[in-house]
Amino acid sequence: MVATLLVAAVVGLALGAFLQKGRFCFVNAFRDFFAYKDSRVTKGVLAATFLTMIFWGIAYQFGYYQGFWTPNWGLTGLVGGFIFGVGMTYAGGCASGTLYRAGEGYLQFWLTLLFMGVGYAGFTVAFPTLERTYFEPLTVGEGASLFTVTSVPAGLVGLAVALAGLLVYATLTGRASTATDFGERADVAQLTPAAFLAPVAGLRGFARGTNAYFRGLVRAWRHPIAASKQPWDPRTAALGITAAAVLWFTQVSIVGVTGPEARWTGYLLSQVGVDAGSFEYWGSILFQGQGVGVTVDMVMIAFVIVGAFLAALWSGDFALRVPKRRRLPNAVVGGLMMGAGSRLAPGCNIGNIYSGIAELSIHSFIAAVGIVAGVYVMTHWIYREVGCAI
Amino acid sequence: MPSIDDVTNTPDELTDDDAEALLEEADLVQDMTGEVCPYPQVEAKKGLQELEAGELLVQETDHVPCTENVPRAVGDDAEAQVWRSGDATYRIYLRKRA
Repeated sequence: MVATLLVAAVVGLALGAFLQKGRFCFVNAFRDFFAYKDSRVTKGVLAATFLTMIFWGIAYQFGYYQGFWTPNWGLTGLVGGFIFGVGMTYAGGCASGTLYRAGEGYLQFWLTLLFMGVGYAGFTVAFPTLERTYFEPLTVGEGASLFTVTSVPAGLVGLAVALAGLLVYATLTGRASTATDFGERADVAQLTPAAFLAPVAGLRGFARGTNAYFRGLVRAWRHPIAASKQPWDPRTAALGITAAAVLWFTQVSIVGVTGPEARWTGYLLSQVGVDAGSFEYWGSILFQGQGVGVTVDMVMIAFVIVGAFLAALWSGDFALRVPKRRRLPNAVVGGLMMGAGSRLAPGCNIGNIYSGIAELSIHSFIAAVGIVAGVYVMTHWIYREVGCAI
Repeated sequence: MPSIDDVTNTPDELTDDDAEALLEEADLVQDMTGEVCPYPQVEAKKGLQELEAGELLVQETDHVPCTENVPRAVGDDAEAQVWRSGDATYRIYLRKRA
């Protein structure tokens, strides 16, 4: 037990520090990509997801794992994911982003966390009704991880999917760069060979970018103290998050945020006299009949806030930040939508985009589409006066 | 074939003295303390729409990601410089391009 708690502390501190230093925010990753094609954080998110997929596949293949998180799949992923995606874009931070900014001293994101808690509690009260009217009709099939349903070794599956993802990425970026090269001359005949060369150009660009990134990393190591106080490349955060997630996967489970938060809500309410265990959702689903108490993943996400706090303090980024009054609706409404949406899906951006895609869960592919669609719609609404790039 | 990262690097950092001097000549100052993404990005784009080429927009912010996100958001519309106070406040200087 002590060893597991130690793992929870190490993983939580590491995740918090890397999230803070890499400004690893899924809202940023998708919103800024849609709004003005800024793909720095998007690259970090993709790198973390695919690297984790490879290593989790290998760990699973050799038996170093505790379990997957594979809810039943269906339209709930789209509906809940969409609500969550709209909510996190309006709130200005995803489930993990809210945690690390709480650690940086943003009162706004503590308020967001509070209203996510209200969302979890409201969902829990409504759960018996929702189970009949929402989950049962919208669920299509039993959840599964693709790692477990094929006879192909999981390590190879992870590697193959990651390589396929890289090829798609290379084709898209390669097409964009060759199109701008030839676009100046606006000659259709020259665009055709460019289309064939797109994956090659993209892979070359990827190799160059990765090479430049590692050279920069080596340069940064020459002045470790100064470099540690600077903002880090999101890809550095991706490497650190992957390492922490692999440790967590071999010892405890996949990385989740809103599940443990919903447990925290039940636990905290039980401390002030609410019989949380008597609610079906807390008692038999979240706490699985083990009684309402502090579980190891709850400890882990608490340490995420501590890790982000320490990293922010070290970098000179910590301050108690009082929100503008006109931003309060963002925290209240955004938090409620994130809390409710993450339960309706179920799962948040970490559970479904990062962990869920990395563990190849069918449900998470659907929920990820829902979340990204929510971000897209909300980004266009927020940028309605100045316009979006995509 | 240069990648996008080669042409849009992180903005230049200003020294304390330069930051003060430049603040004096700002044509528009936006107080973005207490705001979080993406509102400073949106406000920066709106602010630049009001300015003429060569004029200077300064945003005061306490939101860490803004120092990179705001310059990215305005892209080629303005030349960006950043000043970090060291205690979690930042200024973003955007000079509108022609």
